[in-house]
Amino acid sequence: MKNRPTADFQTARRQRELSVSRRQFLRGLGVCMALPIFENSVGPVLRAATSPVGPATTSTGAPLRMAYVYVPNGVHQEYWWPTGEGSAFELARTMQPLAGLKNQFQVIGGLDHKNAAPGNDGAGDHARANATFLTGARARKTDSVDIQVGVSVDQLAAEQVGHATRFASLELSCDSVRKSGSCDSGYSCAYQYNLSWRSAATPMSPEPNPRLVFERLFGAGAPGERQKNFEQRQATQKSLLDLVLDDTRSLQRQLGAKDRDKLDEYLTGVRTIEQRIQRAESFGKLPVPGAEAPSGIPESFGEHMDIMFDLLAMAFQTDSTRVATLLLANDGSNRSFSEIGIPEGHHYCSHHRNSPELVGKIGEIDLHYMKHFSRFLTKLDQTKDVDGNSVLHNSMIVYGSGNADGNRHTHDNLPVILAGAGGGTLTPGRFAKFDSQPMSNLFLSLNDRMGVKGLDRIGDSSGRLKGV
Amino acid sequence: MASYPIPFRRLSTVTCSFLTLGLLSGRAESPSASATFHREIEPLLQNYCYDCHGDGAKKGKVSFDTFASDKDVFANPSLWLTALKNVRAGLMPPPDDTDPAARPTAEEVKKLENWIKFDAFGIDPANPDPGRVTVRRLNRAEYRNTIRDLMGVDFASDVEFPPDDTGHGFDNLGEVLTVSPLLLEKYLQAAEEIVDKAVPRISRVPIKRVIAARDFKREERPVRVVDGAEKAAEPAAATDVPTEQRQAARLDLNVRRGGKSSYTFNITQAGTYKLSFEASVRSTFDFDTGRANAIVYVDGIEKQRQEVVWGGKTIRFDSEQTWSEGSHLLSFEVEPLNPEEPNPIAPQRPVEVALPTAPAVAAAEAVVVAGAAPAPANTAVPAPAGRRGAAGRGGAAPRPVSRSTDLRITSAELSGPMDPKQWVPPENYRRFFAEDAPSDPKALDAFADKVIRDFATKAFRRPVDDAKVTQLVAVARGVYTQPNKKFEDGIARAFMGVLASPRFLFRVEEPAAAEAKMAFAAVDEYALASRLSYFVWSSMPDEELFRLAERGELRKQLSQQFARMLKDSKSQAFVRNFPGQWLQARDIETVPINARAVLGQGNLRGNTSTPQDLNAALRRMMRSETEMFFEHVLREDRSLLEFIDSDYAFLNARLATHYGVTGVTGEEIRKVMLPPDSPRGGMLTQGTILAVTSNPTRTSPVKRGLFVLENFLGTPPPPPPPDIPALEESQKATDGRELTLREALAAHRENALCASCHARMDPLGFALENFNAMGNWRDLDAKQPIDPAGKLATGEPFANISELKKVLTHERHLDYYRCITEKMLIYALGRSLDYYDIHTVDQIVARLEQDGGKFSTLLDGVINSVPFQKQRNLRVGPGATADASEAPASAVAQVTVH
Repeated sequence: MKNRPTADFQTARRQRELSVSRRQFLRGLGVCMALPIFENSVGPVLRAATSPVGPATTSTGAPLRMAYVYVPNGVHQEYWWPTGEGSAFELARTMQPLAGLKNQFQVIGGLDHKNAAPGNDGAGDHARANATFLTGARARKTDSVDIQVGVSVDQLAAEQVGHATRFASLELSCDSVRKSGSCDSGYSCAYQYNLSWRSAATPMSPEPNPRLVFERLFGAGAPGERQKNFEQRQATQKSLLDLVLDDTRSLQRQLGAKDRDKLDEYLTGVRTIEQRIQRAESFGKLPVPGAEAPSGIPESFGEHMDIMFDLLAMAFQTDSTRVATLLLANDGSNRSFSEIGIPEGHHYCSHHRNSPELVGKIGEIDLHYMKHFSRFLTKLDQTKDVDGNSVLHNSMIVYGSGNADGNRHTHDNLPVILAGAGGGTLTPGRFAKFDSQPMSNLFLSLNDRMGVKGLDRIGDSSGRLKGV
Repeated sequence: MASYPIPFRRLSTVTCSFLTLGLLSGRAESPSASATFHREIEPLLQNYCYDCHGDGAKKGKVSFDTFASDKDVFANPSLWLTALKNVRAGLMPPPDDTDPAARPTAEEVKKLENWIKFDAFGIDPANPDPGRVTVRRLNRAEYRNTIRDLMGVDFASDVEFPPDDTGHGFDNLGEVLTVSPLLLEKYLQAAEEIVDKAVPRISRVPIKRVIAARDFKREERPVRVVDGAEKAAEPAAATDVPTEQRQAARLDLNVRRGGKSSYTFNITQAGTYKLSFEASVRSTFDFDTGRANAIVYVDGIEKQRQEVVWGGKTIRFDSEQTWSEGSHLLSFEVEPLNPEEPNPIAPQRPVEVALPTAPAVAAAEAVVVAGAAPAPANTAVPAPAGRRGAAGRGGAAPRPVSRSTDLRITSAELSGPMDPKQWVPPENYRRFFAEDAPSDPKALDAFADKVIRDFATKAFRRPVDDAKVTQLVAVARGVYTQPNKKFEDGIARAFMGVLASPRFLFRVEEPAAAEAKMAFAAVDEYALASRLSYFVWSSMPDEELFRLAERGELRKQLSQQFARMLKDSKSQAFVRNFPGQWLQARDIETVPINARAVLGQGNLRGNTSTPQDLNAALRRMMRSETEMFFEHVLREDRSLLEFIDSDYAFLNARLATHYGVTGVTGEEIRKVMLPPDSPRGGMLTQGTILAVTSNPTRTSPVKRGLFVLENFLGTPPPPPPPDIPALEESQKATDGRELTLREALAAHRENALCASCHARMDPLGFALENFNAMGNWRDLDAKQPIDPAGKLATGEPFANISELKKVLTHERHLDYYRCITEKMLIYALGRSLDYYDIHTVDQIVARLEQDGGKFSTLLDGVINSVPFQKQRNLRVGPGATADASEAPASAVAQVTVH
C-alpha cells in the first residue's frame, strides 16, 4: 500500500475497474446464492489487483468485510476456552459447532474492556458491557440527560470506507421487543440496545425486522418491480432532502444548544442519505438476491437469528456493504429458551452461582447461540467471492461479548472469536493468547486492514494488536 | 441519575433516580441564607445527624460539618436533595433508633425542608425555574396517532420504525429520543407512503357505499338440529362462547340449515349503478358432505345460482343495475341440498352454536364512505375448539371432530350513479382540499398556497412562515405544471416535504409574545395546545384547540378544554401509554413466563403448553384489566390510593378463575366487587404486575420489592455497590438442603453491605410471595408454607399483602403521592425532573393530601404547574440564569465524576 495515488483518484479508478465485475457478480446472483458463479469475473478483478488497492479491499481485489456479532451475558468460561495454544488447540464444549471450520477462525484470549468494569460507576455491568463493546469507551451513567459513550469501531470504518458500497454500514438486531421501565441500574436503555454509535451521543438504531432489512437492501415489492420502486423512491427522497435541509437550518437558528444537537443528528442523517443516494446512482442496478423477501419477525428466536445472519451474508455477498453489526440480544437479556427446553431466562441462568443445574443450562444457551453463528460462518465459507476465495476468507467476523463471565460480571479476558482470514491478512486456525490488552487494540488492527487512515486510537486502545 | 458523587451514593439510603441535577453551581448564597443556615439548620444537623455525619464521623462519606466555606454549603444541591428525600421518606435519621428524642419533630423537619428548598436550592416560589425541555421528537406512538389525525390513515409505526429509546422508564423524553440515519430514512419513506395512501389524486369519483355483513337483515329458517328437535335459540351473550364464535353464528349461513340475508338500498338518484357482492365459504378442517345452492337476488329476481360444497370457492356477483329512485333489495340465500343427510364420515353431531332468533339489526341506512374498505369479516376462521394442539400429535386421544360449511358475506358494494355529473370528491379529499381547484393558472397557484399553508400549519402545529409556504408551493408547481401531472400530484409532493420536515417530526415550542423578554416565559398558546394534546392523546391538537390557540383563548379555558379532551376517545392513548410504562403493563404481552415451570409441572422439550398457560389471550385480558382499572379511577375521579388498594377489581370469568375469585361469569371484563377477605384489589395484585416482575420460571421478591419502591414509594435504593462480594456458590443450609429463597435472602442481608437496601426491598417482595409468577394465588412454594409477613424499613409491620396495602395507603401515602406525581410530571413534560422541580411536586402533593388523592387533582396540578405552563427563554441573552442548562456539558461532568 505504498506510494498510493490520492484517495479520490484511487477510489474512482477502483470503481471503474470493479464495475465490470460487480455487474457480472450481481447478475450471477440472480441464479442462486450457492452456485459458483464467479469464475467468469475473476479475470478483470485479478488484473485490478495488480494495481494499488482501495479501502476495504483484499490484495486480490475482492471486497474486505468486517462484522461484529454480539452475544449477551458473557459465556460460561469453562466451556468456552480451548486447551492448548497457537495452532495446537482443542475446542472446548461451546465451540464444538465450529469444529468443521477450525482453520477458518481464531480464538482470542486476553482482551479486556476496562471501561465496562464498574470503576466509580457502581452497578450496571450489562449496560456498560453493551455500550463499551464496540466503542471501548466508558458510558456516562445517566438515564436520560447527556447520554455519552464513544464512536464505535464500525462507524469509524464506515466513515472512511463506506463510500465503496451502497450502504456505508448495516446495523441489525434480533431484539424486537423492548422492556419498559428502567434499564440497567440508572443507565439509559440506549446503551443497552445499541452496539453501534455514530457519535458519542447518537446511537445507530439497529433494524430488527427481516422484511425491512431486505427491502432496504434489495428494494420493496415483487421481484420484477423492485428496481423501478427503488428508483422512484430515490428520486422522491432526493427532492425531499433539499426541502428538509433548508428547514433544518432555519430551525437550528431558532433553537437553543441542546436542541441544536438534536437537529444535528437530523442533519447528519440527511447527509448520510444524500451520500447513499449518490452512491446508489453510481452503482447502477440493485442486486437481485436469489431469495424471497422474508415476511416479518419469525416467532422462533432461532429462526430470527438465522434469517438475520442470512441477510447479513446476502449483504456481504452482493457487496451491498462491507461493515456490519448484529446484536443477537442486548446484554442483560433474560430471554427464555423454551425452544431448547430451557424455560428460565438467560440472565437468570447466567447468575448460576455454580449451581450445576444452572451451569448446565447456561452451557446449553451458549451452545445454542454458537450453533447459529456456526451456520452463518458455514454459509460464508461455502460462498465463493469474486477472487475465487470464499466470502469468509475475505471477511473479519468478530463474535463476542462485553461481559466475560456473566456470573460474576467480569470484563477481562473477554470471549472473542475472530473468524475469516481478512483476505489473507489474518492467521486463522489458532488460539491466540494475549497478555491483558484492551479489546480496542483489536479494533485498531482490524480497521487498519479495512484501510482506515489516521486513526490513532479507539476508546481506551493502547496500540495495535500484533499477531492476529 | 447523573449527578451523585459516587462514594456518597453507595451508602445513601435513597437515590432520586429521576432527579438529575443540571448545573450545580451555588444558588442562593446570600448573607441571609448563610445566616439562617448557621442559626437554624446547623443545630438540627448537630442534633440528629452528627452521630454518623459529623464530628469526624463520615458514614457513607457524608458529613455536614466539613464544608470549606459558606459558599460550599450551597454548592452541592445533590447532597441536600438526598438529605431531603431521606428525611421525608423516614429513612433518616435511621428508624431503628427508638429513642423519640433522636428523631426530629414535624416542625423541625419542615424547617429543614424549607431551608433546603428556598435557601439551598434558591427556589423562588413566586417565579420558579420551569426547567428546560429538549425539543421532542415524536415517538412511535405519537407519530402514528398524529398521522391518523392529520392524514386520516393508519401507519403501523411500531412495525416500520425501530423502537424508541427510553429514560426513566418513559419513551417520550426529548433528551433520549435520537434520530439515527436509519430512522430518518424511514421517515422519508413513511412520508411518501403515507401521502400516497392519504391524498387522493383525483377529484371526483362515483359515490360508493360499502355494506357490512352485519347490516344485512337475516331471515331465519327454523333451526334444524341433528336430533330433529326444534331448538329454541337462546341469546349467546350470557354464556362463555367467545365473541368470535357468537359473531360467526350471527353472520354465517350454514349449508345444512340454510337461510337468507337481505339488504335494502335507498336510492335517491336514479341512474346506473355497479353492484358487487362477495361471500366466502368457510369450512371446518374436517370434511363435511353438506351442499347447498347459493343464490343472489336483486329486487326479488334470481340473478345467480351456484352450488357450494365443503372447501368451495368464494361466491362473487358483479352487475350493473339501472335503478329508479326508491328501495332496491339485494338478497343472498343459501338453499340446502341435503339438509338431513347424515354425515357418512363421522356420526358425531356438528358443533351447534346457538343462533339469535330475530335479526338484531334493522336494515341500516347505507353509509356513504366512498373509498373506505372495512373488511372486518374477512378474518381467519377460528379453529374449532379441540383442534389446536391435538392435530398431528401422534394420535393419542381421539380428537373431537366438528364438520360444517358456512357462507359468510365478506363484502357488498354499490357504486353510482355512474354519470360523472353526479360524482363526488373521494374520501379524504375534503380533508386537504376545501374546495375544487380552479382552472385559471394564477388562481391555481393561489389555491395551492392556501391548501399548503393550511396543511403545513396543522402539521407543524403552529403558523408557518411565508417563505416556507412559498418554497413548498414552488415544489408543488414544479410537479403540477408538468404535462401529465395533476394538481393533486403537486400538492402531494409538497405534503411529503411537510411530513419529512423537522418541524413536523419535532415539537418546536415558542414563548408567548408578551413574555418574550422574560427569563421564564409562558409557552405560547400553540405550544400549550401541543403540550396538552400530546399529554392526553399522544397526538396533535384538534381543530378546537387550534382555534382557541389562534385566538389566544386556550389558557383561559384550560380546565374546560382539558375536561373535554379527557372525554374524547383519543384519551385512550393516555390510558394505554401512561400505566403501560409507569407499571410496565405493556410488557405483559411479551414477558417470558413458562407456565409448566411456574406450576412445578416440569418442562417437556417442545411442548410447553398447559391449560393454565399464560397464553396470548390471557395476557391481553390482564393488560385490559390493568387499563380498565386505571381508566375507572381516572374517569370516575376516584382516589389515586385505589391503585394500591380497592374493594373492587376488573374481571371476567377467565381472569376470576385465574385469580381464584368465584361467581364471575362471561367474557366481558367489568367492575366486580371483591369479597371482604380477598387479597386482590389495587394494581399490585394484578397478573400484569405480578408477571412482569417475575423471572420466567419463578417469582423474584427482589424485583418485586424494587418495583414497589421505584413505582409506588419513589424511594428506590441505590444500585448495588461496585465492590459487592460475588455470590459465587449457591448456598446450602447446614443440613445440606437448598435454602429457601427467604433463607437465602436472609443470609444475604447478614452482609452489612447488602442489608441496608435488601432490608427495604425484600419485605415488600415477600408480601407478594403468595402470588406466583403468573399471578395465581398459592400457599406453598416448593412445598414450604409461604410467610408473607414483614416490616417496612420505616418500621411499619404487616402480616400479609392486605395489611401491607393498608400500610402503604395510610402510613406511607405521602411517599406514594410524591412518587406518582413525579412520574406523571415526567410523562407530561417529556423530561427528567431536576432539583428545582421539587417545589412543583410538593404543591401538587399538598393538594392531593387535602382531597384524598383525587385523580383530577393530580392532572389539574400538572397542567397548571409552572414547568407545564412555562419554559426557559433561550432568547434572553447568554449568561441569564434562565439558560443554565445550556452551559457546556463539562460543567455537569465535573460534578458527576468525583
